[in-house]
Amino acid sequence: MLDASHSLVLCRIAGHATRTPHKLALVAGERRITYSQLAMGIEAGACYLQSMGITKDDRIVLSASKELEFVYLYFGAHLLGIVNVVVDPSSPVDRMDYIMGLVEPAAVFGTLTTSVECRTIALDEVKLPAVEGESSLHLPEVAANDVADIMFTTGTTGAPKGVCLSHANIAGSACNINAFIGNTDDDVEALGLPLSHSFGLGRLRCMLMAGGIIVLVGNFANLKAFFSVIEKEHVTGFGMVPAVWQYIKRLSGTRIGKFSNQLRYIEVGSAALPLEDKQLLMQLFPDTRLCVHYGLTEASRAIFTELHESAANLDSIGRPVSSQVEVCVMDDEGVPVADGVDGELCVRGNMVTSSYFLPQDNAEAYYGDWFRTGDWGHRDCNGLFYLTGRKKELINIGGEKVSPATIEDAIRALGVADCACVAVPDPNGVLGEVPKAYLQQAGCSLTIEQIKTALCGVLPPHEIPVEWEWIDRIPRSSSGKIQRLKLKK
Amino acid sequence: MLKSNSNFPLSFTLMENQVKEIIARVLNVDPGVITDTLSSGDIPEWDSVGNLAIISTIEQELEVEFPLEDLFDLTSVKSLVDEVNMLKHA
Repeated sequence: MLDASHSLVLCRIAGHATRTPHKLALVAGERRITYSQLAMGIEAGACYLQSMGITKDDRIVLSASKELEFVYLYFGAHLLGIVNVVVDPSSPVDRMDYIMGLVEPAAVFGTLTTSVECRTIALDEVKLPAVEGESSLHLPEVAANDVADIMFTTGTTGAPKGVCLSHANIAGSACNINAFIGNTDDDVEALGLPLSHSFGLGRLRCMLMAGGIIVLVGNFANLKAFFSVIEKEHVTGFGMVPAVWQYIKRLSGTRIGKFSNQLRYIEVGSAALPLEDKQLLMQLFPDTRLCVHYGLTEASRAIFTELHESAANLDSIGRPVSSQVEVCVMDDEGVPVADGVDGELCVRGNMVTSSYFLPQDNAEAYYGDWFRTGDWGHRDCNGLFYLTGRKKELINIGGEKVSPATIEDAIRALGVADCACVAVPDPNGVLGEVPKAYLQQAGCSLTIEQIKTALCGVLPPHEIPVEWEWIDRIPRSSSGKIQRLKLKK
Repeated sequence: MLKSNSNFPLSFTLMENQVKEIIARVLNVDPGVITDTLSSGDIPEWDSVGNLAIISTIEQELEVEFPLEDLFDLTSVKSLVDEVNMLKHA
């Protein structure tokens, strides 16, 4: 493959293609791709983008898909310094319109719902050129600190925030994770996580950087199919969010334990894993590295813990993932606090974003070069970190962060004078958190049943509040901001 | 008006349509997408959260209770329809 010194991920893939060209890299359905074919596919993806007149610093929207073409275009864009905006294909139209309007992409690849007009090519219409012999690619100068990806997260006010991640950020994160988990080229990973989420996309990069095999699986819904992949492909590890673990338990009991001798690692993250589930995993997988991460798109997997090694401190989220990452607990002024004192967890390191897409989103995001996570906790005298709360008011539904403002806007649009949504524990014990809606009684003639019915089709099913309560008045500050923390008490 | 086909009585066809309607409504997809051969995971909307919602909505609205040991095998539209049919006539 061509020179890609700006991207350590691409350099590693090129290295595997040179040293072990016939080794399997990717499995997507019936298609099995070696590292040599992967490197050629990435180059073909870059040629294709260049033939469309897309050049360095242009942005493309990639609708996440477990297709090889997605992988080729994603890394092909990196090769040319084109910026990827990876989105969930099922994103609602208003979210997509907002993102499209903001990033003004040169093209969209894959399917998504938007009313913004743009050149759009379905992935099965992408015809990659054959790449043989001398390359016709014209490579621009790309720097490691140039933006590689923009990932959109949920903002507290409801508007998505674009997180700019450089080539150095995503490579740094993959190096940190691979070193912690111990991934090698012997590993085979089943990827059921969505590629639109930084956890899933990160697993793809980690595995290809390590030289292992990644098997792209639709999702976890069909556990029978997932277990069959584990068996047939001799899978050695996978990543999951806690809601998936609840799902696995509910639908298959402890059946997954039969793979304990084969699974070398399981990575869990994106939401808190209850203590009893940590203990059950340890019991089912006595010899598997059970790596639980804390992180966010802006500061990918900042903290890790391995459950067997931390058996005496299962309530801790662990320590910084590598020597390249620092975590500091700070007070409201951005001053470090003593061990044992609660404050905001702040992170700096090789994987931490240096900027949001919109400059105004940076205003309160940092203390100097420390990124503010919005999560509260403390460090003990042994250097272990503990989470105690969250300053940001997002609702973490099965690992997906949802803004309460989005749900409140949808409810108000139905004719409810005022409302507020907060996170409450999922009564079914599956999703971690679910939304609870407080509704202002005065001036509302609708019943809760009518509101719930009207929200179907307006909000995704999991965003429709599970608990409802009428109250006299929604608490607001003097400036009119909803005081959701008062409702949580 | 619904018609019985040659293999199944009318009640089965009605129940089959109810199951398909629930799946389409819960996943918020076009009812035409919900074919007999569609399996969980085949479309992005039918993920693990969607599957749990389908199971609980069918249980609630059609007044059945899926045995825990059967959940693992309920992976397609057809298997859900057959299971509800079996439970209704058990």
